[in-house]
Amino acid sequence: MSRERVLIANRGEIAIRIMQACKDLGLDYVVVYTEEDKSSLHVRLAQKENDLKRAYRISNYRDPNEIFSVADQAKCTAIHPGYGFFAENSGFARRATMRTRPLTFIGPRWEVIRDLGSKINTKRLAKELHIPVIPGSDRSIYNEMEAEGVAEELFFLQKEQGIQHPSVLVKASAGGGGMGIEEVSRLDTFRMVYRKIQNYAKRQFGDEGVLIEQCLRDYQHLEVQLLCSSHGEVVHFGTRNCTIQSTGRQKRVEVAPGFDPAVCKYPFDAKGVLDQIVRYSVRMAGHVGYDNIGTWEWIVSRDGSPYLMEVNTRIQVENEISASISRIKGATGPTNLIREQIRVALGDRLGFTQDDVSFKGTSIELRIVAENTNRGFVPWCGTITRFDYLDRPWARVYSHVPRDIPYKIPTEYDPNLALVIIWGQDTEQAKERARQFQRGIVIEGKGMEGENIVTNLDYLYDRIGYILQF
Amino acid sequence: MGINLDDLLRHYRSHIFEDYQVKTPHTGVISFEVEEGQAVEGPSGRWLQRPGTLLYILEREKNAKRIYASWKGQVTGIRSELEGHFVEADELVLFIRHRLDREEIIDRILTQMLTILRAPQQARYFLSSDILAGLEKRPEARIAIGPGDEVVIMSLMKRDTPISYRGEPGVLYKVYFRSGDIVEQGSPLLGVCPSDRLQYMQKVIQRIRTDWED
Amino acid sequence: MTDSGKLLSRLADRISYLIDIKGESTWGNLDELQRQVQDLHRSLFEIKEAELYKEIDRIEDRVSFLEDRIARRLTPAEVVNIVRSVQRFTLTDILENVYDSYTELGGEGECNIDPAVVVARATISRKVKNRLYSHQVMVIGHEKGRGEEYRNGGCARPWGNDKALRYMLVAETEGIPIHSFIFTPGAYPIEDYPGAAQQIARNIYAMARLKVPIVSFISEGGSGGAEAIGLSDLRLMASRGYYSVISPEGAAAIEGKIREGEKLPRDLVEHCASQLKITASDNLKLGTIDRIVEEPPLGARREDYGFFRRLRYEMVRATDEVVLRTKNFRAFRAYALKRQGEEKVSVPEDFDLVINWNLTELEIERLLELRSKKYRELGKGFFLKKSRGLGQKFRKAKAIASKGYYELRYGLLRLHHRNVQKVIEEVSGEGSVFFKKVAEPVRAAYDFVFPQPRRPAKVIRPDGPDRRSIFAEEWEPYVSPLANEDRTVTCPNASKYGCMDLWVPDLYGELCGVCPNCGHHFPLEYQWYLKNLFDKGSVQEFNNHIASGNPLGFQGFDERLRRDIRRTGRTSSIITFDARVFGIRLVVAMLIGSFRGGTVGTAEGEKFVRACDIARTTRRPFLAYVHTTGGIRIQEGTLGVVQMPKCTIAVREYIESGGLYIVVYDNNSYAGPVASFLGCSLYQFGIRSSRIGFAGPRVIRETTGKNVPPDYHSAKNALKRGHIQGIWDRRDFRKNLYEALTTMGGHNLYYR
Repeated sequence: MSRERVLIANRGEIAIRIMQACKDLGLDYVVVYTEEDKSSLHVRLAQKENDLKRAYRISNYRDPNEIFSVADQAKCTAIHPGYGFFAENSGFARRATMRTRPLTFIGPRWEVIRDLGSKINTKRLAKELHIPVIPGSDRSIYNEMEAEGVAEELFFLQKEQGIQHPSVLVKASAGGGGMGIEEVSRLDTFRMVYRKIQNYAKRQFGDEGVLIEQCLRDYQHLEVQLLCSSHGEVVHFGTRNCTIQSTGRQKRVEVAPGFDPAVCKYPFDAKGVLDQIVRYSVRMAGHVGYDNIGTWEWIVSRDGSPYLMEVNTRIQVENEISASISRIKGATGPTNLIREQIRVALGDRLGFTQDDVSFKGTSIELRIVAENTNRGFVPWCGTITRFDYLDRPWARVYSHVPRDIPYKIPTEYDPNLALVIIWGQDTEQAKERARQFQRGIVIEGKGMEGENIVTNLDYLYDRIGYILQF
Repeated sequence: MGINLDDLLRHYRSHIFEDYQVKTPHTGVISFEVEEGQAVEGPSGRWLQRPGTLLYILEREKNAKRIYASWKGQVTGIRSELEGHFVEADELVLFIRHRLDREEIIDRILTQMLTILRAPQQARYFLSSDILAGLEKRPEARIAIGPGDEVVIMSLMKRDTPISYRGEPGVLYKVYFRSGDIVEQGSPLLGVCPSDRLQYMQKVIQRIRTDWED
Repeated sequence: MTDSGKLLSRLADRISYLIDIKGESTWGNLDELQRQVQDLHRSLFEIKEAELYKEIDRIEDRVSFLEDRIARRLTPAEVVNIVRSVQRFTLTDILENVYDSYTELGGEGECNIDPAVVVARATISRKVKNRLYSHQVMVIGHEKGRGEEYRNGGCARPWGNDKALRYMLVAETEGIPIHSFIFTPGAYPIEDYPGAAQQIARNIYAMARLKVPIVSFISEGGSGGAEAIGLSDLRLMASRGYYSVISPEGAAAIEGKIREGEKLPRDLVEHCASQLKITASDNLKLGTIDRIVEEPPLGARREDYGFFRRLRYEMVRATDEVVLRTKNFRAFRAYALKRQGEEKVSVPEDFDLVINWNLTELEIERLLELRSKKYRELGKGFFLKKSRGLGQKFRKAKAIASKGYYELRYGLLRLHHRNVQKVIEEVSGEGSVFFKKVAEPVRAAYDFVFPQPRRPAKVIRPDGPDRRSIFAEEWEPYVSPLANEDRTVTCPNASKYGCMDLWVPDLYGELCGVCPNCGHHFPLEYQWYLKNLFDKGSVQEFNNHIASGNPLGFQGFDERLRRDIRRTGRTSSIITFDARVFGIRLVVAMLIGSFRGGTVGTAEGEKFVRACDIARTTRRPFLAYVHTTGGIRIQEGTLGVVQMPKCTIAVREYIESGGLYIVVYDNNSYAGPVASFLGCSLYQFGIRSSRIGFAGPRVIRETTGKNVPPDYHSAKNALKRGHIQGIWDRRDFRKNLYEALTTMGGHNLYYR
């Protein structure tokens, strides 16, 4: 029997979710962990099944050599990168497929990751396909004079539109995730910032190319969830709204669908905009031959203009809120996008079309993080002594924090503790349930100096009231 | 300055050996190049440019990495059953029993007289760029340090926090970690010798030099 | 009795001299003779006088006999021993005996910036019809001393050579000739500022067009150290001197692959000494010197006054000739002819003429022209010329045509712009059609010469349609064949910076051989640069019919040469070509390490000079990219050494005509080439992780007895010492080169 065995090249809650998806699909799996993470739940769950060695200790989650070494040793046939780490690393995906003992990379093919991983290429491609993008340069700029010219034009355009405080963003072309971005609100300081970002980009990415974009302030952050297969099938799972973020542009509360005109008032045709961004996203996916799960990130300004920001060629943390509000015709349970992702990566057809996907209700995700939201979201570290919540049929919790033993938060990684996914018939019910669930969560812990744990629970509670509002 | 040199020396005489753990830096198939009880050398040469004795080869992804001894001593507790097998990262494969020599005794005793800056939290630590540059230029240089100087950068959860020295002014005598290492909470990072104690230190060194025989 | 004592010491000196020459004391029972002399000396007052003298006579006869025997069959290794003997004359002896008076400059004896280099303002005189006429000259040379440590055995330190240069410029200011005396086993190979190689390069560059006559005399000519003061209009050599690319011991260590610290087999050293063609007569045959100054059969010693008289005559005579040649050819001929056959045996007391050594502006021009011509001829006829293929013939035709074009364009055009414009249009119009015809076959030949390396096999997923990138053309660069292996390698800085192992296809593919963590550059083959540095399809090689040979008939070298030709498909270690960088046309000389370690011999020198000249006539910037050079090719002996001044002269003429010359070092660049035509560039850069220097760590250890740190020659340290102007990342090479061409080249790139 030729059974697939998936190496889960990640940690924390996503490792657990992938593990579960593999089990659901009847696939074998192996996890990796570092010395620091040895008491993490993903390791303990994997070790529970004693028939096979399922957990391998490695030196570093970021070292591809460790992943492949274990993959060969454990006779794996596929690698799931989760999110972060190798998820959008085209080099890693290429190596997986091109090595002497090839492994299936559970994600889009490496060429797509490479091409869409570059903001510039994505932007240029979008322009070609008549998809709107944020005004600015559509290629890396290496020349100061040219850069200043672009900035000048962007300032002019904003003034023409009557924007009160026009500004532009200077971004490292090769950067991502909020790194190497700076705002310029006065043209005469542009050169200084440009040089700073150029130097940063050169140091950090070995490429001093810089992008210049109009800085949009008043906007909503939307996403379109797509699932594609290598057989040319493209299906969307609706939209999400991820506008509520920490100061470091980290998402904290996400909602599906992207807008709800039944609850909130929008100064534009909300449904029309959602349809539009879905249409654009599907068009682009079809054009590049996208073949796995992916998210198209959009910015919608107050006048209802959508701009494509970037494409995330991976499974996202918040994927399950889209899954929760969708139902595939003929399926017995709720949709599981991770499962679908693994299935198509292994070569399956989708087995359904867009017409088979229906949507119902509203879903909210809360990200529980040990951080001080009053002090610039600084992470807190220490040991969690108690983590508990009331189980509800309409809520799911994903966490690598054990509920039975104390857990020391590793200092090497983000201090995410848990994800809570709530479903409701409509937005109002979902909000109410989210508040209700929040009240039932208990987290206790002690810091280095005996102080009590700090989390963002109160912050999340406050934010629930603001979701989906422009 | 309450140290009893005689007691210390007596202590070290009875604890002359230190066992260093040798752990695999990463996964791979191991093949040993030394045997139980074998004497091994640490790195040598003025710039430590010559590696120590070859301990084992760790092959991963068709790269046979040669792992050398970092200390002079004797191989003990070698796990020969691992020979030719796949090992995980951080696997303890042998010990090196190292006999302290005079300079090391001096070093250890001096450490007890230094003002120690300890790691406030378990985190990744880096030397400040000034100190790093100074040491790179002349590794044996004694860099002056005063209170308030940013000497170490603590990197915790992807955030960098500079750590200032708070003790008496003096010179940097010892660095206990490698820049970029994860250091346990409370472990020493830097040892600073207060300027007024330098002379006394010299005397102690002299004393040990005459008293201690290798 | 004092007399006999003196006689005995003199005898003892003669015997120990013979021991020096033979390199062993047992030959001809020399040690026994030595002992007898010592015994006699001890019992000087006990033996009867008659008996004593009889003994002395007997020993003297024996010594004379042995001297004759050695002199009759002097081997090259023995010549080396003569030169190294403490009894050999030194520069001080010359200053005392050849010159009438002198004043040492830039230090005195031990109180000196570098006692190994002596500079003196001196007068030298000649008698004409019983009247004495004296000339002012600048004497520059090495002083070996008599074993005093501060003399450093005549090894000039970098600042010693700098001192020499300073006084060369003084001589130029004052308009007096330079007499340089070479007594060096080699330069002191340290990198401290100004740096051994860089300073020698500066000296050679200056001498290339120094506006006074230079006459040099070689007793011990140790490679680069000799060249530092050796470039001259007339080169004399002592008949028992040696002039070599490397010491016979150094050559033996390389040839025999002798490990450090092991003893060199004597036979091997002797073999190398004879293979290297180091004697005066060999060098005369090779054309690397102009004339031999006869010494006594076993070489001149401190008290050989006859020799000094001869040397004085030769120095005056040589300077006369250099001066006369600048005046007119007939006068020189008449003067030179008179010399023939004259002084083989004895030196005439009188000169017929007084010749003024001052030169007019016009004569200086002529002097420099002759110097250039003389050096450009060196080594010609010692490389191989393969028959020109069809492409090559076209190439030559094109070269001639384009030379005419450029002469018209840049020469006449400026003066008679209007009148000539029409002509130009016709020429270039016609030319372009002509160019196209000849360019095509050349390009085909190029593809033949640089075969495409195998691309890594792309594993394609069995399912799915076309997997090509949607931005294909941007991601189709040249990929090194090194990338064709599924394995990983460790970065050498891993322990220092925590670099992760690198997957070879990534490393040699998109990472361009650079560690993404610490920036370490793994070496890449030269083809990578040909493909990635220059505009696509713009590389057009020329002069590849010039091939390396084995001019000295060095034993076993033919086979090694053939092997490298087979392996690399190239016939010399230099590739010269036209190319473009972002549309800027330039001429490039590329030294490659895969052929004989990138060493430079006559073929390489000639190709370099020609590339320089093409850059000059076509008025294009000139790039020397050093993929690797191991120095001068030792198997070509001094023919290789003289490529240093030869190429430097071509470079200087190029630069002075307004050219922009940029040197970029990669991997390893050492010795002769760095100490001359590369190091003299006003703009030198290093690729990251490259090493640049004069001598490697082993040679430094063996000559100076000091260990150097592992990063001694690193580009970073070269930058710190001011030897290079910057360190370039390989991935930025193209962009940086473009920037350098536009900023340093200025508005018109090249013309001042």
